[in-house]
Amino acid sequence: MSARTRSLAVAMAAASALVLSACGGGGGGGGADSDEAIPIGIIADLTGATGDVGKPYNEGMLAYVDWRNEEGGIEGRQIEAKSNDYAYEVPQAEQLYKQYVNDGVVAIQGWGTGDTEALSGSVSRDELPFISGSFAEPLTDPEEAPYNFIIAPTYSDQMRIALNWISEDSGGKSDVAVFHNDSPFGEAPVADGKNWIEEEGLELGYEAYPMPSGSQNFVGLLSQAKDQGAKYIVIQNVASPAALVAKDIAAQKLDMKIVCLNWCANELFIESAGPKNAEGHVLVQPFAPMAADKEGHQVIKEYAEANGIDTADIGTSWVQGWYAMDVMAEGIEAALKNGDDLTGTAIREGLETMGAIETGGVVGDGSVEFSADSHRGSTATGIYRAEDGKMVEIEDGATL
Amino acid sequence: MAATATGIHHRSYTSELRLRATRAEYFRLGLMTVLLLILPFVLDNFWLSQANLILIAVIGAVGLNILVGYTGQISLGQGGFLAVGAYSSAILSDRIGLPTPLAILVAVLLTAAVGTFFGLPGLRLKGLYLAIATLASQMIIEFVIRRWDWLTLGQGYLNVERLNLFGFQIGGRQVFEQQWYWVLLVLAVLTVLTARNLFRTGLGRSFMAVRDQDIAAEAIGVNIPRAKLTAFAVSSGFVGLAGALTAHYSEVVSWEKFTLDVSILYLAMIIVGGLGSIAGAVYGAIFMTMLPELIRQLSLGLGDTLPFLADELPAVRNAVFGLVIILFLILEPRGLDRIWHRIKDYFRYWPFRY
Repeated sequence: MSARTRSLAVAMAAASALVLSACGGGGGGGGADSDEAIPIGIIADLTGATGDVGKPYNEGMLAYVDWRNEEGGIEGRQIEAKSNDYAYEVPQAEQLYKQYVNDGVVAIQGWGTGDTEALSGSVSRDELPFISGSFAEPLTDPEEAPYNFIIAPTYSDQMRIALNWISEDSGGKSDVAVFHNDSPFGEAPVADGKNWIEEEGLELGYEAYPMPSGSQNFVGLLSQAKDQGAKYIVIQNVASPAALVAKDIAAQKLDMKIVCLNWCANELFIESAGPKNAEGHVLVQPFAPMAADKEGHQVIKEYAEANGIDTADIGTSWVQGWYAMDVMAEGIEAALKNGDDLTGTAIREGLETMGAIETGGVVGDGSVEFSADSHRGSTATGIYRAEDGKMVEIEDGATL
Repeated sequence: MAATATGIHHRSYTSELRLRATRAEYFRLGLMTVLLLILPFVLDNFWLSQANLILIAVIGAVGLNILVGYTGQISLGQGGFLAVGAYSSAILSDRIGLPTPLAILVAVLLTAAVGTFFGLPGLRLKGLYLAIATLASQMIIEFVIRRWDWLTLGQGYLNVERLNLFGFQIGGRQVFEQQWYWVLLVLAVLTVLTARNLFRTGLGRSFMAVRDQDIAAEAIGVNIPRAKLTAFAVSSGFVGLAGALTAHYSEVVSWEKFTLDVSILYLAMIIVGGLGSIAGAVYGAIFMTMLPELIRQLSLGLGDTLPFLADELPAVRNAVFGLVIILFLILEPRGLDRIWHRIKDYFRYWPFRY
């Protein structure tokens, strides 16, 4: 091949490439056509550090989609949920996010605090409503994160309610140790808890301890907490490590009461710790467990019966997933009812203006409501105690 | 070494020093240029985002290869240095208000300075000992970015404004990846050219002399401490650039992106690509960035026949990651670059064996 033919070949390649490029591109975007499926992306943790609760949460979301599609979908349109595992790794979440954006999804269901925060900027620039399993407080501010929605009280609110409860339970004076996951998720309510004690003038000692990931026991941390004089251990982590703490407290015969927030306040905690070890510990859980038998659980029971799922296997995380998807679906329905094209902006407006979303007593005090000024869906939470291996309600819809 | 093409006679030193000597090389360069130019028009936004990640990885991997491959200073501190670049550029541009290009430049210089500081143990330590010392730098930097609240104003992460280059603002969802592609392509090409030329200078050769035999290098007049520290500075400068670009491209900076895993990933890139080869760093960056996505696509394709692939995807990815490194270490320690040379040689000599 001579030099001239070679340059000719390069030029030809360039020309054909330009032709190809003219054919490519275009397309994409969720149209307003009435019978197109509604694409929603799910970034799920099935196998990562928080997989113990992430997996049932994902199953709950998919079950809701299944149920809703059977019921005829949203305004006659089916929901097309794409769920992928990101193993609680931020770069993987970003990768999935890019893919969903490219696939033209109209909204996204996320999971962890680190990745939700990492994506919040992109989400607002791409105008995609984002509901996630993270209830970190900065995500409720529409100025900071205009497309993030939090459907339950924030971790900080849960911490404040827990501290109020501890103050009351202890007769006004006690010492609290906060054991938290060593990540943005775990750290989210720590500083707010300390500020709350100062603001309210509570007589509570307060010390935070990061829980080393992968630990096989927490005896070391517990002995630090014992030196501090802590009678209460607030845990901001998922169920499995919290259950280890409960086991260690029982093994060391310590006089300490665990107060679990949200992701460890579930049946899995009781099951993993063993009913005996879990006995008497307190669970701050904004989503009513199946055992509480609220009106909003009825639909889940019917779905479970029809699909051969044992309701005894449905944990709180599963219910959370169901209702996270329910809230999003309600927002989408509101957008469609407004007669808007189904865009992220329309869904956001739907969620902000539709008023209270009723959850039949399952989330907070029963309803989730957003406004243009606040994406904090609820401020109320239930408080439960582990008794005989069950979650027994001690307070319904507790608020600050 | 790879064989040189037969029939080429150099009559001057400049001719001998040319980066490309044969027509075939120019032809391949032309093809590659065409390919790089058409990519943004044929790829959809997702694959283009992968290309952008690769371009950033290329800059980082070239930087690391200067240190590890060319100077023989093992470093496990890559994640930390990326973080220095990312945090400093984000803070300088968004909080202090420097124009972004200037912020990136200062971030590069700052990372070079931090790299030089953490390179100091390299004056006394070699091999495994140095690896552990640089591991300490990773740990220290990670500690700082996690625990120093003022870095993120107590928020835990930093939101970064959309990139504005000399008045040109990167656009929205539809054009975002494409516009970034051009920015990153220019910088990656400049990085590769700079690094490629670095090793034709006296400074670059002193790096290689230190790697090959430091005592002999000292005997022939190479200032070893200076060469080692300069290598750390130059290398970390490149890595700082990659870090700064990560920050502006992903528009958020959080410590979770700069862990030890990232350091190991970059080391894997240059091992798989080929230590001591700029082209190798590029191949490695492409290969290791694409690998997880390719495995995912494969698991999606084989979802029906081999469902465990999809169910255990992250575990499968980690296993394949480990396996690839082991296979390369055993079968071709000099990496993809060497494989490419062998393929070229095969065709060059065909039908003869050598």
